[in-house]
Amino acid sequence: MRARAISIIVLCAAVLGLVFAIYSTYDYAQHLDRQMHVVHCSFIPGAPAAEEDNACKTALFSPYSAIFRQSFWGGIPISLFAVGAFSFFAAFGTYLLIAGQRARRAAYGFLGAAGFGPLLASIVMFSISAIKLHTFCKLCIGIYVSSIALAVAAVLAILQATQSESERRSPPAALLSVGWVAALGVASFLPAIIYAVSLPDYRPHLTSCGTIPLKVEAHNALLKIPTAHPVQPVTLFEDPLCPTCKAFHQRLVADDVLENLDVTLSLFPLDTACNWMLDRSLHPGACLLSAAILCSGPNARATLEWSYDNQDELRDAGKAGADFLKGKIAARFGPQIAACAVDKKTTVRLNQHLHYASDNHVPISTPQMFLGERRICEEDTDLGLKYTLGQLAPQVLR
Amino acid sequence: MTLLSQVNQPPPPPPPTGASPLPAIIALGVGTVLVLATTLFVRLSVAGAGERLAKPQAPPKPAAVADNSEEKYCTPAFKEVLQRVLNSCGLGGEGRRGCQPADVKTFASIDDKDFVALFTPLKDRAGVLLFDENAEKLDPSAIQVLEDRWMDRRGARYFFVVARASRSGPPDINRALSHKRANSVFFHLQEQFKEPDLDKRVGLLWLGEEFAQLPKEYCNWQTSRADKPCTEDAINRSAFVSWVDCRL
Repeated sequence: MRARAISIIVLCAAVLGLVFAIYSTYDYAQHLDRQMHVVHCSFIPGAPAAEEDNACKTALFSPYSAIFRQSFWGGIPISLFAVGAFSFFAAFGTYLLIAGQRARRAAYGFLGAAGFGPLLASIVMFSISAIKLHTFCKLCIGIYVSSIALAVAAVLAILQATQSESERRSPPAALLSVGWVAALGVASFLPAIIYAVSLPDYRPHLTSCGTIPLKVEAHNALLKIPTAHPVQPVTLFEDPLCPTCKAFHQRLVADDVLENLDVTLSLFPLDTACNWMLDRSLHPGACLLSAAILCSGPNARATLEWSYDNQDELRDAGKAGADFLKGKIAARFGPQIAACAVDKKTTVRLNQHLHYASDNHVPISTPQMFLGERRICEEDTDLGLKYTLGQLAPQVLR
Repeated sequence: MTLLSQVNQPPPPPPPTGASPLPAIIALGVGTVLVLATTLFVRLSVAGAGERLAKPQAPPKPAAVADNSEEKYCTPAFKEVLQRVLNSCGLGGEGRRGCQPADVKTFASIDDKDFVALFTPLKDRAGVLLFDENAEKLDPSAIQVLEDRWMDRRGARYFFVVARASRSGPPDINRALSHKRANSVFFHLQEQFKEPDLDKRVGLLWLGEEFAQLPKEYCNWQTSRADKPCTEDAINRSAFVSWVDCRL
């Protein structure tokens, strides 16, 4: 009875995990064309892709969704390994189901060990979601649940193995276990290998966004962001309330890139309170926050990172009104910074940042990164960031 | 009864001890099919993206580009005059010299009233700095208005200073006086804000009494002497200052 339950749990968990992993991989692979696509994000497998930004998109564009990013544009998505592993467990569950009581004791022993693998991976990814991303993607949760179910089956399998009589059948249990481990390895890595060898050559696209000989900002209004080992000059155009800027910043930090950049920051708030280039505010309050960053002097980076870390709360405050947001700034940095943020001189300096953008005719978009004069395409500031930097400025990855 | 029937039932057969390869073979087949299918799916997904990358389905939308502001008052006629000011008054980069009445009459190619009317839409953007009779010194309230106007740049690229003189006195004296008034404004901006590219942003016109005198209605604009009586002479002892939100 327990053997049957184990096999059914393994089979169901594996199939469910496989479906979630396939959707996640599919969404990732869609973005390999360097375009923006909608992303699936539902507990119901096959539910239509969600239009708006969602947690799955956040996870997909995070630096933690793939490995080997420096070697391959976009890296190898973690979900690919889940696809292979769950395929294996689906087959293994099929074996247990058909074999029933005749299943080898070694099979339960193997399941008792290998069944925890997906759970361990899920714990790592869950921790990253909680600590770094502060959001949980539904497809990921589907995989976590499947992994938990597999782990439950693994516990039951250990009990089953310990209660079974020892067996002396050929082939030996050790040999079988090696074979299963090998099969699990092949199943897990084969899709990743095929993925890697199928990737197109992205190198010609990395320079497709051209160059802009950025003029010098005559008033010295732009911000220099202090970093530990600045070896590559970059100019960044950022908005403290823009989610993609936040993700970009996190990516630079997570990939150990930021400390190697010599950053000149031009604030480009997408807020009509100061930015005349928009017909509506995308991020109300971004002008005031940008002004607070300017007022922070040598602590500008800390204020920018505070804005990113508390972006949801500050965005709500910005929508509630300038006074409300000013109160948040005063509560965190004191009344002097809050007063400075609404001072005319600060307004003029922020205006100079915006004029720097208009004088250079940069696209109205955030974030933007210029490696020297070379404009890095938007898609190369997210999925392709590490690969692009590896190709165009390898010194920042050392 | 149930217990009795259970007791009477024969014991369940012991699990077969022979190792049938069938479950393993089926599982191997299932596994192989699944792994191959998912691998094929991966291959096709990546290849599809590669094809879209090589041949985009839709041409990329041209991205909006950051630029100076362009307000509704930037009519073709207005921009034409402004462009001539830029070209003729030294903002094009070949040293600042400004424009005097004769220049303006020549390049504007419009009569006084139409010239003044071009600036009417700037009512909420402009300031009129008033001067004492036969004087070019900026008083504190004029400085205040000037600095307020200057700091409220927004998306504008060019700042225009159009200085005038009233009709009292000889035209050549008034022409020189309006020139001095324009320079007073320029020099104050230069000293106060120390901007390196001021020459390329500030357009100076001095019209004396000869061209485009302001009608008295301009007393209702933001002037530097809102608390004092405003006459047609007073409004023309002035320098009109404004950022202009037009792309030129």
